[in-house]
Amino acid sequence: MTQTHQLAAVRPQQTRGFAWGRLGHWAKEQYPLYILIALLIIAGFATDAFFTQRNLTNVILQVSVIGIVTLAQFLVVLTGGIDISVGSVVGLAGVLSTGLFSGASVPVAILVAVGVGAMVGAINGYLVAFRGLEAFIVTLGMLALARGLVYAYTEGIPVIPAAENFRSIATSTVLGFPVIGLLWLGLALVLAFIVRRTVFGRRIYAVGSNKEAARASGVPVKSTILGVYILAGILVGFAGFLLASRVGVGTPTAGSLYELDAIAAVVIGGASLAGGKGRVFGAVVGTLIFAVITNLLVLLNVSTYLQDAFRGALILVAVVLTTVHFAKRKKAQQLV
Amino acid sequence: MAIEPSAAQQHAATQPVAFEVRGVSKSYPGVKALDAVSLTGYAGEVLAICGANGAGKSTLARMLAGQELPSDGDIRISGYEGRIDGPAAADDAGILLMHQEPVIIDSFTVSENLWLKNLSSANKVRPWGFVSRKKTETTLAALRSVGLEGVSPERLGKDLGPGLRQMLALSRTQVNRHQILLLDETTASTTEEHFKDVQSLVERERAAGVSVVFVSHRMPEVFAMADRIAVLRNGKLIDVVRTVDTTPDEVMTLMIGEAVSALESPPSIETTLDPILEVTGLSSGSATNISFTVQPGEVLGIYGLVGSGRSSVARSISGNQSRDAGVVKLHGKPVHAKSPRDAVRQGIAYLTEDRRREGFVKDFTNGENMTLATLQHFSTWGVISRRRERKRVNELIREYQVKGEAGVYTRTLSGGNQQKVIIAKWIEARPEVVILDEPTKGIDVGARLNIYQIIRALARDGKGIIVVTSEAEEALMLCNRILVLEEGRIVGEYQPATSTTDDLIRASLGGEIA
Repeated sequence: MTQTHQLAAVRPQQTRGFAWGRLGHWAKEQYPLYILIALLIIAGFATDAFFTQRNLTNVILQVSVIGIVTLAQFLVVLTGGIDISVGSVVGLAGVLSTGLFSGASVPVAILVAVGVGAMVGAINGYLVAFRGLEAFIVTLGMLALARGLVYAYTEGIPVIPAAENFRSIATSTVLGFPVIGLLWLGLALVLAFIVRRTVFGRRIYAVGSNKEAARASGVPVKSTILGVYILAGILVGFAGFLLASRVGVGTPTAGSLYELDAIAAVVIGGASLAGGKGRVFGAVVGTLIFAVITNLLVLLNVSTYLQDAFRGALILVAVVLTTVHFAKRKKAQQLV
Repeated sequence: MAIEPSAAQQHAATQPVAFEVRGVSKSYPGVKALDAVSLTGYAGEVLAICGANGAGKSTLARMLAGQELPSDGDIRISGYEGRIDGPAAADDAGILLMHQEPVIIDSFTVSENLWLKNLSSANKVRPWGFVSRKKTETTLAALRSVGLEGVSPERLGKDLGPGLRQMLALSRTQVNRHQILLLDETTASTTEEHFKDVQSLVERERAAGVSVVFVSHRMPEVFAMADRIAVLRNGKLIDVVRTVDTTPDEVMTLMIGEAVSALESPPSIETTLDPILEVTGLSSGSATNISFTVQPGEVLGIYGLVGSGRSSVARSISGNQSRDAGVVKLHGKPVHAKSPRDAVRQGIAYLTEDRRREGFVKDFTNGENMTLATLQHFSTWGVISRRRERKRVNELIREYQVKGEAGVYTRTLSGGNQQKVIIAKWIEARPEVVILDEPTKGIDVGARLNIYQIIRALARDGKGIIVVTSEAEEALMLCNRILVLEEGRIVGEYQPATSTTDDLIRASLGGEIA
């Protein structure tokens, strides 16, 4: 039959240079990674204080919470949505986990934080998926609502948990590596598995790329979106607990402006705000880029105000770089 | 192929040259879309550019209109000094391109859409220029000239169906000065009813001394309008022939490079079997009180004009549109699909008319698109087995002869291959009934036959097939039985052996003489 002929003709092409081709392809897409490497080199030359164990541990401690928030943001962005309530939810989860049941038990505190996040996520997800509202405006409302609740609950005063070992998770280390960093990387791996290898993950990409086609193909679009917001909420809630655990108290202002850093990190990591494009690895690298530059500016004694300007400029430069690479890809794909 | 291109190229030398394409090539990474094409267009002449999908005909049209720049060679427009280096320059040179997908801004009114080119940066229009609203008479006249007298200039672009959108885009020919008119598959999204309007428009343009370039692969239309036919194949200009000297068969042979084997006539169907699908008193959207049955192994055609309710029938059975009334029975059991997901589970698959929007996921590869509806087959506990998925996808690609590997983005394929990917996706779900809405829309001749054969093979497997179509010829060639819809009701049932395209068209127009 003719079909066997075709098979024989196609096979050799498929196997030849398979691994190298894929590696090259992968390397071409890793703009954020190159930025990070460049930053690390600059940091090494700029100050001796950067590559010290003390400083690197510090960076990991600082980056882990926002890293987990970024993972949540990444999920939502993948569906073509956006979640600007993440910072407020970090705050809410933090104060409630330290305050409810007087913060007497760490497992209960984690459950409270995760539950709060899941609930907020469910509300966001319901409004976006089932009521068809814009994710931006829904989560803008939630941003104000959650932060308002934080202040109402705390009356502006930090909440001190009763448990003595409340700080243990965030401060302990394994072989000198902070547990909180391991948690972040572990969650990133789990998430990467979910989005790349599971049916749920495949559906997220389908919904983000083309809602109508996904629906017409029998993908449960609404429940997929709802699931994403709930999962994101759980991550954010957990991040809220970790932040409270690291600081030792539930601070009312905790998590303020995290949404901006998280969105920027996701976009720098190569995800498209239009949805359907992006990798977890990119989001992790995006977070690290942010952390390294912040740390470097502190080490170099740059004034706080100027630090913000630097970070803003970094966002612009990185985003411009991603458009350069998207434009190149677009050209390559205009085949027919 | 015996004819020397140069002989036909020199024809019509009495008319002034409108444009000259000289040795133009266009390369994309990995593909040579056009290879040293030289072609001359004359004023007051209709030049058809024919070719299968991927032959480069749209690339040529887009380059003439400044939408893309040639990699090599150049294009001269009579009466314009500069190079065509962008859409605005093309406007200045008097080149009007009608896209395959009509350029209509959804949130603009019909009248604003008609005058859209006034926003172009060509002709020294400045951003602070004043947008005049007092053009009602001209607007109405322009709309009338393309058969849109019934459409209010105040209606929004998004409220128009695909046919009307294309006609609205065409109405711009009335208000924009031009000497070259490019129609890029303009009739692909219109139906036979609008074709007469397009034809008379082209006739008027020719009489006015415009050089009309008509990109198409539909032979009846090409032969109804064109003076000369340029045939492209794999990016090369194969031949330019005069319409009076040739036949559709000959042109088709030039396009494909081999003789087109005709589809054998549909086999007769045992009607004594229990029907696989029974529809009684179905009302939804513009369709009212529709009843019919489909036998296993039967290809049932539903033919009708735009707005006749043909798509409403298909979409409401398959859960893409809600149902007002009626019962649908599958194997004698009533089914009521509330969503496409529901429908697939119950054994009804729907192949959409709008391939780009609903057919496949833009950022997905062929493999990912093929398995999207049946991910449960390739996964345990919600985790996809890539090995199983990849194996099945490769099988499907061979089975449906998709030109494109598993890892290639579906959006980069030609229409015919995209359609094969979508069909593969649905057949993987092992449906009992397959509903295909305009399965060959925008697909070229060679690939069409392929799609027809796939549909026939599905019927042979004992599935019930419904083909919704706006092409009478397709209905007659493909189906065992044809229902004609007019204004939401079934007005006739036809057997292909004893009916002609004329019968179907007349019935679809309500019995009036077309």
